[in-house]
Amino acid sequence: MAIRTDVVRLYRQVHTWTGILTGLILFVCFYAGALTMFKEPLERWITPPVAVTPATLDRAEELVAATRALRPEVRDFTLAVGPALAGEVPLRLTWTEERFDPAPWAATLAPDGSVAVEQLNPSGIGLLVDFLHRTVGIPGDLDIGTTVTGIASALYVVALVSGVIILLPSLVKDFLVLRVTRNVKRLWLDAHNVLGLISLPFHIVIALSAVVFGLHDHIYDTLDRVVYGGQMRAVAASSSPFRTVSKDMSPAGMLPPKEFLTRVHSLAPGFQPVSLEYHDAGTGAATVRVWGHDPRYLVRREGFVLMGAVDGRIIDTEYMPGHQNGWSATVSAFFALHFGSFGGGIVRWSYFLLGLAGAALFYTGNLLWIESRRRTERQAKGRSAVGPVEQSRATRLLAAGTVGVCLGCVAGLSLTIAAGKWLSGLVDDLHAWHWGIYYAVFLGACAWAFLRGASRAGVELLWASAVATAAIPATSLLGLVMPGLWLSDGLIGVDLVALAGALAFAAMARSAERRAQTGPRDSVWAAAVGHPKSEMGMQPLAHPAE
Amino acid sequence: MTDASSARHTQAPIRPDWWSKSVAGVVLGFSLAIAMSGLFAWIGPGGPAAVNKLQFIMWLVVPIWLGVASVCFLFRSGRQAWLWLGCANILAHTALLAARSPLLH
Repeated sequence: MAIRTDVVRLYRQVHTWTGILTGLILFVCFYAGALTMFKEPLERWITPPVAVTPATLDRAEELVAATRALRPEVRDFTLAVGPALAGEVPLRLTWTEERFDPAPWAATLAPDGSVAVEQLNPSGIGLLVDFLHRTVGIPGDLDIGTTVTGIASALYVVALVSGVIILLPSLVKDFLVLRVTRNVKRLWLDAHNVLGLISLPFHIVIALSAVVFGLHDHIYDTLDRVVYGGQMRAVAASSSPFRTVSKDMSPAGMLPPKEFLTRVHSLAPGFQPVSLEYHDAGTGAATVRVWGHDPRYLVRREGFVLMGAVDGRIIDTEYMPGHQNGWSATVSAFFALHFGSFGGGIVRWSYFLLGLAGAALFYTGNLLWIESRRRTERQAKGRSAVGPVEQSRATRLLAAGTVGVCLGCVAGLSLTIAAGKWLSGLVDDLHAWHWGIYYAVFLGACAWAFLRGASRAGVELLWASAVATAAIPATSLLGLVMPGLWLSDGLIGVDLVALAGALAFAAMARSAERRAQTGPRDSVWAAAVGHPKSEMGMQPLAHPAE
Repeated sequence: MTDASSARHTQAPIRPDWWSKSVAGVVLGFSLAIAMSGLFAWIGPGGPAAVNKLQFIMWLVVPIWLGVASVCFLFRSGRQAWLWLGCANILAHTALLAARSPLLH
């Protein structure tokens, strides 16, 4: 496809700058995002096993009534159905005091019919990867972090469009060609292009939806003023699933939990209920949201049907897979395409791999800029120049930042996951420990990278990432022999994936080491200047024929 | 590389005008996207109050906004970008006002 060369040149600059500004932020978003696909297994991998017999729902009604009697002020709570039936958790009611509460309360039923209320202390690794994915780990208010990722995602959309424009002219010639030659930049460019093109639809979907997730508050505010004349709240309220629910707060009895499941089953036999979320329980306005999955439809993480808790009537199906109107179904599809919450395991694994590939795309993007800067600086010095070219400050800083941020994120996540199993039961607030370990490793890696320089820190941090990731399966192996540790039942996948990751990082460390020794001496990746091999036997770098 | 191809150019080359075009794309692109989504909210199927249409309208803003911001570097100059996007904005917002005006309902 013919595109004017000045247009291509212009968009190459757009692509470079949007990429440089967002690459590191997006790396963290993608790497943590890939892990969010498996946050439940990760959480269970860290949690000590307790003998839970798969529950029947026969005693659920008794549990609700007893909890209501003990804690009448708690009117909003959740009864996990799927995980209790599967024997993953005991039959219990849980509630939180704020929206993102790492330590929810739980009420369980003793055999004698009495209720025990305790505060749960889950490892919180699921919350950690989720927050990291949304905020890049920017501390403080969630809104600040999500706004930053929203803006980065907007630039990422522009980077995608410009990337496609600059690839179009050479698409047929270059597509899926990986040129493994002495020319390292060519190799990185080919890898970057292949990764980008293969996963382009995924990236478009993720980029656009991430902008929405990051900036929706601001967009809604503008729409309210410009489009809805200040009446947007009323418009939104008239779409709420609760719009027809009465305000009746007088005491009223509720149907048993099993009854709701029976009615949902007759409404949608393919729907797999996961939990019952009660609202205003024990009053005339009491409602139950039956949350669940239906892999045949594109829905948000989970869909729900809203029912009256007193009479069991179906109140709203706007969030129920297969029962939505066109607008809801379309928006739900956008959510599902971002979360990968459709199609079951195959899509989940694909999203995991696409997420990792995305992280690699941003990593290679930064490497490309660094490589091309090196060439520019060589040209600036004159083509005849042989021997090392002094790298500019910007190149050195970006190289160190790339190594520190990306590998700090990788090593920090791996180590905090592995540490979760060691610390579980030993510390009071495991969630806080998870964050502490992550930040310590991440910030330490960044500091290390700037102190040591990209070439040495790159190799060292890759080894550190390999070791930290290998600590995950090693912890499980030790669980076979060491008291206090354990092998998590049915979660061998976590250990195998981590092992594969550790091997991959080790291989990357080896190749970075080789490059530092034998690669071009004027590269930021070369071992420190003054190395005995530096001037001997080195050919001047071949210039790419462009 | 440049010698061979520049001879074929009959049109003037595109001026980069980075700041001017970027600001035009981000700011005027956003207001254009709001107006066009709003227009769809009012005159599209179901009217503005259809159940859960509001969420769809919000999602619509982003692809329009960033689509405009992405392609606006194709304008010959920053001046052209401001001129064209400004006119498009005036048109779209006038249409939105008309669609919201009770006289038409």
